[in-house]
Amino acid sequence: MSEFLNLLAAGLTSGAIYGIFGACLAVWFRVCNILNLAVGDFAMLGAIGTAELVQSDHVPFPAAVAADLAAVGLVAWLFDRGVLHFAFDRRPGGHGIVGVFFYTFGLSLVIEGVAQTVFGTDVHGAPAIWPGPAIAIADFHVQRAGILVIALAVASGLVLWAYLRFTVSGRAASACGESVLGSRIVGIDSALFRRRIFVATAVLAALFGVVESPLTGFTYLSGPTISLIGVVAAGFAAFRKPGRAVVAGLAIGVAEAMLGGYVSTSYNDVLLYAILFGIIILRPEVLGLSATAA
Amino acid sequence: MTAAGRVSPLALEVEGVSVSYGKFLAVESATFAVGAGECLAVIGPNGHGKSSMVTAVAGLARRGGAVRVFGAELPVADPRAAVRAGLVLVPERRHLYPELTTRDNIMLGSYMRTRRIRARQAWEDVCGVLDMFPELARLLDQRAGTLSGGQQQMVALARAMAAKPRILLLDEPCLGLAEAVARRVYDWLGEMTATEMTIVLVEENPAHALLVADRAVRMYKGLVEPLEPAA
Repeated sequence: MSEFLNLLAAGLTSGAIYGIFGACLAVWFRVCNILNLAVGDFAMLGAIGTAELVQSDHVPFPAAVAADLAAVGLVAWLFDRGVLHFAFDRRPGGHGIVGVFFYTFGLSLVIEGVAQTVFGTDVHGAPAIWPGPAIAIADFHVQRAGILVIALAVASGLVLWAYLRFTVSGRAASACGESVLGSRIVGIDSALFRRRIFVATAVLAALFGVVESPLTGFTYLSGPTISLIGVVAAGFAAFRKPGRAVVAGLAIGVAEAMLGGYVSTSYNDVLLYAILFGIIILRPEVLGLSATAA
Repeated sequence: MTAAGRVSPLALEVEGVSVSYGKFLAVESATFAVGAGECLAVIGPNGHGKSSMVTAVAGLARRGGAVRVFGAELPVADPRAAVRAGLVLVPERRHLYPELTTRDNIMLGSYMRTRRIRARQAWEDVCGVLDMFPELARLLDQRAGTLSGGQQQMVALARAMAAKPRILLLDEPCLGLAEAVARRVYDWLGEMTATEMTIVLVEENPAHALLVADRAVRMYKGLVEPLEPAA
């Protein structure tokens, strides 16, 4: 039983990491139909930036977190104003697959290059927000950072779900992704929604990087791997439902942990894609792949 | 003159409006005015600038010239200002939100008034438009993308009415619809012309438009030309 609970805790922790980045990707894609392939790099900037401010510049931890999140938000805002605004608002329509991933992929490469120059190639980890040894209940052990990771993922998923489901602003955000012209007709500023949610998810990813980094550590190259994990989790949520992305991420994490614990870790990736293919074949509507009547 | 036969102040003034796409001039110095409560038909063949003109008037495309709503000039390419002034467009091909429900599509018409409140409260604010489109009541929880073309057109009209417009711009409201549905749209339009609302109706085929319009202009090769008053 204790082995099961420990595997469950490990699975929920890694699943929360899948889920939060999936949620960040899904909510922004829902608003503007662009994949944020830089979301992992924002997490990396959060983790390494905070670690550097605390360890090298001796800035108090809370101030370092606040300064780092503000800096990440500023980077996201400048990217939107300087690149996405000119790419999408000045020349609406006709971007195709290039618009879906090209701009944020470019941002990811730029952030990696700058991070390597500024932070070097070492592994960094921000100080723990909740320091102390793992919490033990009988034979069940769970890292404090793991508890924070799960709590932040669940809270973020709930907030994003409630925003989209219960507020007019959330419905308007969804409308932007459905029809830019249709949303502008009723006075919805689709560019403003794109910018706000891009900045908000960048800051959320950076905060998650700070919380997660005591568990995993970060290098300047950590971003793309995290973004890829997010893409997979968002895929399970049709790239539209952040709440479902968190749930899917948690489920994937637990399934992987159980498979790794009771069978072999070699099958983790196989499991992930087997589930994905199974859903595509048996329940395509879950992934938003079902045909829609005109 | 309005349908009620009274002379009214100007609701919409379009003065020297031009729209171009690169080097192609789609609308060339369009000038016309519509009185409060009046229904103006803008007719003409496809590809002669009708949709470009109403899109620019609604603030959705860059333009030259001036657009005034009840005397107040609208800024260029600012659809929010147009909606705030009470000028609302029902575009050609509707541009609904296919993955959202009928209810959400209609509710978002009131976005400029209700954007800071909960969706449930916003719906209470706009659900009165269902009196005009009772056929939508049973479709409220259905995704708009799964509705028929005629139902989608009713949703587009209901969304516009949720904005409580003073001036309604209708761009080809019957495009692609069956004759019976088109008749339903025009029945509704006939009811609207008896209200205080000002209507600009863009149609390729004048047969329907001239039945409900107080007067008409013709748009040809990007130019607006006067037409004989409707019978």
